Amino acid sequence: MNPTFTVNGRSCSAPADGTATLLDVLRDQLALTGAKRGCNYGVCGTCSVLIDGVLGRACLALAADCAGREIVTVEALDADGTPDPIQQRLVAAGAVQCGFCTPAMVLAARGLLAVNPRPSRAEAAAAISGNICRCSGYGAIVDAIVAAGHD
Amino acid sequence: MTGVAFHRPSRLDDVLALLAADEDARPLAGGQTLVPMLNLDLLAPSAIISLADIGELRGIDRRDDGSVRIGAMETHARIAASAAFAGGQAVIPHAAGQIASPAIRNFGTIGGACAHGDPASDWPAALVAADARIEIAGSSGRRDVAAADFFQDFLTTALQPGELVTGIVVPPLAGRGIHHRFSRVDSDYATVIVACAADIAPDGTCNVVRLAIGACGPHPARSDTAEALLTGRMLEPALIAQAGQMLAEAIDPLDDVRGSAAYRRRILPGLIARALESLR
Amino acid sequence: MTEFGVVGTSAPRLDGIEKATGRAAYVDDMVRPGMLHGAVLRSAYAHALIVSVDVSAALALPGVHCVLTGDDFPHRYGAFVQDEVVLARGRVRYVGEPVAAVAAETPALAREALNLIAVDYEELPAVMTPAEALAPDAPLVHEDFAAYGRRVAVPLPPNVCAVTTIAEGDADAAFADCDVVVEGVYRTQPQVHVYLEPCGALAEADAAGKVTVWSSCQSVFRVQATVAEVLGLPMSRIRAIASKVGGAFGGKSDVTVQPLAALLALRSRRPVKLVLTRDDDFMMMRTRHPAEIWMKTGAMADGRLVARAARITLDGGAYAEDSSAVLGFALLIARGPYRIDHIRLEGQVAYTNRLRAAGFRGYGNPQVTFAGECQIDEIAARLGRDPIDLRLQNAVRAGDDWVGGQRLEACGLVECLERLRDALPPRMPGRGIGVACVAHISGILSTSAIVRVLEDGTVTLSTGAVDLGEGADTVLSQICAETLGVPLDRVNYAVPDTDGSPYNWSTGGSRVTYMVGRAVTAAAGQARDRLFDHAAEMLECAVVDLELRPGGRVGIAGVPGAEVAFRDISARAHWAVGGPIIGNASVMFEGGGFDPKRSAVTGNGIGRLGAFVFGAQAAEIEVDDVTGQIAVRRIWAAHDVGRAINPTAVAGQIAGGVAQGLGYALYEDLCFDGPNPANPTLMDYKVPGAKEMPEIIPIIVEHPEPSGPFGAKGIGEPPLVPVAPAIANALADVRGVRLRQLPLTPERVLDALDAART
Repeated sequence: MNPTFTVNGRSCSAPADGTATLLDVLRDQLALTGAKRGCNYGVCGTCSVLIDGVLGRACLALAADCAGREIVTVEALDADGTPDPIQQRLVAAGAVQCGFCTPAMVLAARGLLAVNPRPSRAEAAAAISGNICRCSGYGAIVDAIVAAGHD
Repeated sequence: MTGVAFHRPSRLDDVLALLAADEDARPLAGGQTLVPMLNLDLLAPSAIISLADIGELRGIDRRDDGSVRIGAMETHARIAASAAFAGGQAVIPHAAGQIASPAIRNFGTIGGACAHGDPASDWPAALVAADARIEIAGSSGRRDVAAADFFQDFLTTALQPGELVTGIVVPPLAGRGIHHRFSRVDSDYATVIVACAADIAPDGTCNVVRLAIGACGPHPARSDTAEALLTGRMLEPALIAQAGQMLAEAIDPLDDVRGSAAYRRRILPGLIARALESLR
Repeated sequence: MTEFGVVGTSAPRLDGIEKATGRAAYVDDMVRPGMLHGAVLRSAYAHALIVSVDVSAALALPGVHCVLTGDDFPHRYGAFVQDEVVLARGRVRYVGEPVAAVAAETPALAREALNLIAVDYEELPAVMTPAEALAPDAPLVHEDFAAYGRRVAVPLPPNVCAVTTIAEGDADAAFADCDVVVEGVYRTQPQVHVYLEPCGALAEADAAGKVTVWSSCQSVFRVQATVAEVLGLPMSRIRAIASKVGGAFGGKSDVTVQPLAALLALRSRRPVKLVLTRDDDFMMMRTRHPAEIWMKTGAMADGRLVARAARITLDGGAYAEDSSAVLGFALLIARGPYRIDHIRLEGQVAYTNRLRAAGFRGYGNPQVTFAGECQIDEIAARLGRDPIDLRLQNAVRAGDDWVGGQRLEACGLVECLERLRDALPPRMPGRGIGVACVAHISGILSTSAIVRVLEDGTVTLSTGAVDLGEGADTVLSQICAETLGVPLDRVNYAVPDTDGSPYNWSTGGSRVTYMVGRAVTAAAGQARDRLFDHAAEMLECAVVDLELRPGGRVGIAGVPGAEVAFRDISARAHWAVGGPIIGNASVMFEGGGFDPKRSAVTGNGIGRLGAFVFGAQAAEIEVDDVTGQIAVRRIWAAHDVGRAINPTAVAGQIAGGVAQGLGYALYEDLCFDGPNPANPTLMDYKVPGAKEMPEIIPIIVEHPEPSGPFGAKGIGEPPLVPVAPAIANALADVRGVRLRQLPLTPERVLDALDAART
């Protein structure tokens, strides 16, 4: 039995090692390095992915337990060659500095906009409250998310 | 870590049998506590047993008597969004909605959090304030334990080896509820938690009050004398302060990077007053 | 106000889309064929003899290719004191100090191998604070200090690695004449950089023994030089390349794990990637210098600030590193941006058995400015003067001299204060407002740039400047594009690579826009001159008749049809006349230093730095009387940047600097429990999150710096500095209590409120 899950629409199976995380699979097996290993224990948020449409931490998801789940990583958002509006908004707002938090912020925004298409600044800040940014002071990221809501 | 087996049974009895057969096997709920420990090499289980397919562990169900049964595998996010809670039971979704951060709430479970039994976390105080009961299953049978008896010490609960939390039952509670947490920054563990379910009449008379203090000792603190002091009385600042002092004496906090024990005792009465004010 | 085409526009970050789409390659994203994984073993003791290290079991583990210990790194190095080794030799000096390193087939195997290394320690008494270290008969952190090479040779007491003094005028006499004197002791804490990308390097040796090191770093040249030095190889055998850097803030200015990765790669003959875990990074790397500052400021009744004295003790941790420079800079700044003629400033850096202290955004300035700007407010209170007004009265202006005698060619401080004052709303009930100024320096050491016009007329810009996320690549490209009159997308910014890039000291010191920008302007100008030489021949006119036209063309001024495209000029150069068009420039800041007729200086570790930059901030706060917690509602941040090459990027640096300043002011503190760090993890050491952030109102002030590229100078560090004193001043404003210790935790605030009530 090799439980399968999908990553960006493609079927994957978990490795034999029961303790491998989804982050390990994404980065080491699938070469999807947009999800980062900023702490590997669930605080920094740089490993963020969408799991069945909601924001989750790939470093805290055991790959073996992902059977049946649909995983979306940042790489899916410009799969057709055109950056997603939230990605464009983040760049335009000056919210991308070192960029290490950015893929996670993109997915946090996508997860929010899927259930709240026109978030307020407070709602946008709450959506990224579990994602650390050390460069930008968060204001420009919130600006971008609110602007994307008006797109 | 190679050689760690992974199981995902679909029946609770199979989970219990696996746990009974191997004392180094660990159940996996939402993973938000277990997996960081694996990543940090703090745990080396022989096997991991996922609870994801155990239907009995799911559901947030309001029963005819007004109690609410929460399956152990329900996430903090689902509990926070649930309309099943009424009256003083509001302390439960209010607590759930403040745990950690959105992604943790999306996958962390109430059963996993209870089984871990970290006195700095949010559930213990909320469940004690709500007079909740913890449902437990093991290969020797089922039982349930009052929350106040369940959370015993730092990472120590009433669970015996091989036992699982299967659900939490919150009794009907009159009035309103609040989970008031004070922390350094929003996503941090709390420095002090005041969980409260109380029925306060419009004129300020306190009919019923339940106060549990979290993050201030090895298990949540509650004071019968403080609650008795307030019950049936008009809630005036001096009285509330007196009750607050009793609770400040009842807690047993440590000095840590979030604050000294003395600081926690000092701010507790004010936080209790704030919590009660909001429940009028 | 944009009289330029590219400079002054908020051009999007060159690699913005690459980063936002998750395609940017940080070192942990890189893979090389046959790559091994490295891991590092930490010391468990703050001070201990290493009796023995047995690596045999680790080496015997299948999949382990190489194990290194202190024996493999005999060379001592250090920018000011050669006190440091890559892996501990003979003794360990802080909990977390690297003791051994392994390279193995997988990260898990590497960690397993670490567990098999048996280190036998004999514990020694440790000194955990400067007070302990400086006590008589204290155990020595470096017993062999006298034998170490040192850049600044002054006699030093035991457990001290640097002493510096600066005096001007006659402070003692001046204090005696003052109408108001305030005096106090201020304490600041160790702040951790918490760059989001942990330190890492990937090293690979070729068949000839040349080692290429990709790493998350602030300077490929510093990596090259230090790796070469510690491996005993010529620099020409080391090639250092910057991968994308996920934040640095000073913590990656010195080498981190590059020497380890390089030697593991050489010995194992395989590429080796070594990326620290977050907690290894917390425990092994560096913090900001904690400080204890005694300060005294004197003023006259009419508000003139007359004298300042300070004694500063910095805790440098176990190794000196850049401490001497941090101390020197702190003292240079300690006077504050005011016309104070009489100063007596003394400082020392103590060794302790703690995690090393290093440069961190501000570089000594946040510590001294916390003390200094609190004292300005204390004086204002004693004199019954408005804090902004008192600062305006005393503020330095263009044409004034700084400590040492450097003339301020441009100074926008007065405008910063005035615009701040205009922006501030009336006090809301229950809220306090506090103000603080900052002076900083943009610059330090040398740099260079090369501009090449390619065969098709597009341009490649090579500087050694590593972008840490602040936008160096974009801003420098804008400067180059502006100088040549081409659109930004015609400029290719080359990845910093010691094989191809000309030398740049580092990205730090708020220096890139100013120093590297000057080099880029000059190099692009030289390229433009060559283009003009060709065009004059091609158009048969004099060079003076020519002008640049948008889109990469050169034409005869006033004659619209007479022009020639860069492409055609470059083709001519490549194939017919003169050879490829290459502009290059080298820059070293020429001002600064100390005029001996003015300043008495001893033990100074810093040289000529750069152009001064100024700013002023205000913080609006509320205080929770139950918990003592400070909530910051708004921060106004006015900063003089000379010229904003990219306004959005400037605003981003302001916001990010303020956020780190907020963490420094309120939340961040690496605490120690005896010899051990008490909270060396992200679970217990908290940086501000989105919900902690106040509204930040940036105010960009532009007083063009004559020597700067298009008048620009730096912004990287200054925004962090005024936040803590502004908040402390706001606390005094709203509650009448004066706190002199950072961070301003709820507990400390409550203690102060309680004390004030009794």
